[in-house]
Amino acid sequence: MKHHISRVARDSVRKTARLIDRFLHEVSRYSTALLLLMVFCVESGVVIFVIRDLRSADREVQRIYAGSVLGLRGIGELQYQAQETRRSTLYALTTNDSNLQVEYADQSRAADRRVTEGINDYLAHARMQREVDVGKRLQGDWSAYLKVRDEVLASILEGSTKEAVDFDLHGGVPSFDRVRQDLEEVKRLYDEQASERLAIVDESSRRSAIRLVGVLCFTLLFVSVSVWAIQKSRMLSALKLAKLQMDFVASVSHELRTPLAVISAAAQNIADGVVDEKDQLAKYGGVIRSHTRQLNELVNQILSFASTKAGRAHYFLRPLQVSRLIDTVLHNTREVVKEAGFVVEALVEPDLPEIVGDLSALSQCLQNLIGNAVKYGGNHPRIGLRAFLYKADDPAFEELRVTVEDHGIGIDSSDLPHIFEPFYRSPVVAAAQIHGTGLGLPLAKSIAEAMGGKLSVVSKLAVGSVFTLHLPITAKGNRETETLARDSFIRQ
Amino acid sequence: MKRVAGVWMSVAAAAVLLLAVSPRAILGAGGRAPQAETPGDQDLAIIVNQSNPVENLSMQELRTVFLGERSHWPNGRRITLVMMEPGFAERKAVLRDIYHMNESDFSRHFLQGLFTGEVFVSPKTLATPVGVRKFVFNVPGAIGYVRASDVDDTVKVIRIEGHLPDDKNYGLRIQAHPAK
Repeated sequence: MKHHISRVARDSVRKTARLIDRFLHEVSRYSTALLLLMVFCVESGVVIFVIRDLRSADREVQRIYAGSVLGLRGIGELQYQAQETRRSTLYALTTNDSNLQVEYADQSRAADRRVTEGINDYLAHARMQREVDVGKRLQGDWSAYLKVRDEVLASILEGSTKEAVDFDLHGGVPSFDRVRQDLEEVKRLYDEQASERLAIVDESSRRSAIRLVGVLCFTLLFVSVSVWAIQKSRMLSALKLAKLQMDFVASVSHELRTPLAVISAAAQNIADGVVDEKDQLAKYGGVIRSHTRQLNELVNQILSFASTKAGRAHYFLRPLQVSRLIDTVLHNTREVVKEAGFVVEALVEPDLPEIVGDLSALSQCLQNLIGNAVKYGGNHPRIGLRAFLYKADDPAFEELRVTVEDHGIGIDSSDLPHIFEPFYRSPVVAAAQIHGTGLGLPLAKSIAEAMGGKLSVVSKLAVGSVFTLHLPITAKGNRETETLARDSFIRQ
Repeated sequence: MKRVAGVWMSVAAAAVLLLAVSPRAILGAGGRAPQAETPGDQDLAIIVNQSNPVENLSMQELRTVFLGERSHWPNGRRITLVMMEPGFAERKAVLRDIYHMNESDFSRHFLQGLFTGEVFVSPKTLATPVGVRKFVFNVPGAIGYVRASDVDDTVKVIRIEGHLPDDKNYGLRIQAHPAK
């Protein structure tokens, strides 16, 4: 039971590690751009957060200014005007001149109008219940004071100074004191609101700072992990390449050694006189020729790939009949196909337009595809070779397509993204001891792209594969293009 | 015959001209002897505080109030009399139409009345119609006078003998060109 659990755990760890390796492999393709993009996104997020918090703090400060500072200024003005109301009333007591008394009464009334308007404005903008309560109380107390004030003013103007003083002492002073207390309470309310809003701004800026630090830490961590991941993925890629190259060397050694051993053994037998009959000599000669050709093809393939990689591949582009290309391919693969017991069913659409390309290179490309079809054809020895014109609504998208179809073992979907990578060999194929160098498909793809086309594949495991060579066509009658193409030279 | 017709036509023209210039001069005011009204004359409004319940006074009552022989209004408020300074046409109209006195009689009346206790109210004197209006606005028991054109809604105009300024039988008028 314990062993079972530990095995399950080991499997899980392996799976996770494989997933991470795969992710890193994918990441390594776009590593720098991806990292920059993600850092940019994270930094943009930070900037947006910071700007949002700053604007929020700014709005709050504006609210404090509008709500509390301006409010306090308004209440200060109210206090002044209330005092002015009372002061002007009392000034009227200091003179017997009715004209001056009327002037003072006028000033008192002008000041009391400003106070009344201020109180109404305060009530109109009151939001909290406490503000409303205090505002209403202030309104009531102010009205009460004004009634007393009116009596005082009337008495002064009538000339009843003693009566005016009595009214003011018994009614004016206490009612004005209540007004003063109400105004102080309004001020206190504004102070409290300002303090609360200040606390909100403080909290907001603190939150903003914490968020900023958090996001910066995250960014730092993220960048560190990304750099580590990129380095790791590059190391994995280098290791993988080294392994592929080691496999390639081993595979090539094996591929070289097998025909060499056969040739050597045949030559030894002939030299030792073991073979003396004419028929047997002819048979040995055939074996030596066959294996020599195999060696020759292998060496040519390696050299071609090396040239492609080193940028020394030379292609001579010229107008080319598709039928001629297919004939050449069929001729060159005839013996391989025949020896493997396969049949190539060629179907070339009549009246195909000319293409521009290097006959030898294109032939090599299709030969590689047919060679693979033979190698991985399994128990279905039929290979389809078809050339046709792909017609699209837009003439610009018309192209020539040559497909090579087999009904063999097919390619696993997990291997499909890698089959055009140099030296790559599917683990399934390697396990099945199907020999190869892992260079045939990369070389074919390289040639297709050099001719201005591409190579695509559709495959299903245990059903078969269809490789398609897409080539651009030359417009009929376009002599200028043909002339250019005739002498074109591509060095890759 | 022609001479008689000419005289009649002259009389008719004079009558038409007189009617066109001043119909009120012919119709009279307040039951008193009609006064001659000249172009530029204005009615004098008697004003009280808006809180004063009094709406109408007879000319006699008005005279009693202005002479200071009455101390309180029906609502209990003390009467405060407001006069304009000497020299104003409004004051002259009041002295002429209400007091039937000149300036010196007016001064003597109040000095004597206050001394003997027959007069309860000492008039307040203000320099401008606006001042009068503001005084009346501020003092609930005040009564004063301004030109009808100086009245606004801060004060109340009371009827005299049932008439308001601009009524055809209104009896208080400021003469633009008083007789010498």
